[in-house]
Amino acid sequence: MPSKDTDTGTGKGRSIIVETVTRLMVPFIQLFALYVIIHGAGGPGGGFQGGVIFASSFVLYVVAFGIVKAGNRFSERANIVLFSTGVYLYAGVGLLCILFSYGAAQFLNYGYIPLTHHFEENRALGMDLVEVGIGITVMAVITSIFFNLVWKRENEEIGEREGED
Amino acid sequence: MNQLSVAALVFVLFLGGLFVYVAEDIPAFGDPDSAPNRYVKLFDMDATGLVDDLDQGVIPASLNAKIGAVGLPLPSGVAKLKEGEWEAVIIPEETKQHFYPKEQKYYFIAKEGDELWVYRYSLYLRFVEEGKHETEVPNMVTYILADYRSYDTLGETTVIFTAGVAVLLLLRRTGKRPE
Repeated sequence: MPSKDTDTGTGKGRSIIVETVTRLMVPFIQLFALYVIIHGAGGPGGGFQGGVIFASSFVLYVVAFGIVKAGNRFSERANIVLFSTGVYLYAGVGLLCILFSYGAAQFLNYGYIPLTHHFEENRALGMDLVEVGIGITVMAVITSIFFNLVWKRENEEIGEREGED
Repeated sequence: MNQLSVAALVFVLFLGGLFVYVAEDIPAFGDPDSAPNRYVKLFDMDATGLVDDLDQGVIPASLNAKIGAVGLPLPSGVAKLKEGEWEAVIIPEETKQHFYPKEQKYYFIAKEGDELWVYRYSLYLRFVEEGKHETEVPNMVTYILADYRSYDTLGETTVIFTAGVAVLLLLRRTGKRPE
């Protein structure tokens, strides 16, 4: 009977402790990831690290609740959109520098984006925007790789069982 | 072609065009006007009587004293670039442990009016000492990664994006979900 003992979100006796702790931990992990991304300018951290921490919260969710429930929560379609959103955010911030300075500034010279009145603070804020872009891309890619590997394994296991039957 | 393919094609063309612009925009290697290579001015001093010494490859004692007062290593030789411009080099001693045992270009000296302006060739100096002042970000790793080397980081992000797309193409589940 394939549906009873596979880890597809319905069967397989999972522990209530694991589920409860996961439910408690996931928001805090995601909050910590956002903290790491935003504080990349002031302390240790940055887009790459924060994105991986954010993705690890989805990994924990899959471990506790199974791939079907996680896939419903965080659909593949949204994931694919987020993939490119980060890169476009990064490239778009660079493009804004050219547009706002009428072609005088170089690509990714953040000081020309008129966010504040100070050239240096514009650079700091531009860096933050870029870090957010990096974080979105890294989070979506790591999550997508993990989800796809899990789906692959699930499909193979079910195929094997059906072959035995 | 469905709607999604058209949208994807438009975005790819846009991003491709942007990257071509970027590749044209990158300063040539060693361009003295590019941000990381621009010299950092250390101090200026009276030029009377020093120009002849510099032209003959001798470092005046007063210049040495000023550089020593700033706290930087003293130059061991001077070379004339053109009229009114010199570069001072440091030739490391054999006995000391040096990772780059060749002569290092350290100081750039230019004559402005009747003053000598002393600059430093400045990749390290700019990153380490001017970065906080120029970007208002206290974290050195972040401002080097996301500001001075942001072209590089854009490439890294694109590499991760490409890895994700490749995994998606290879492993994306086809057919129905396991119920």
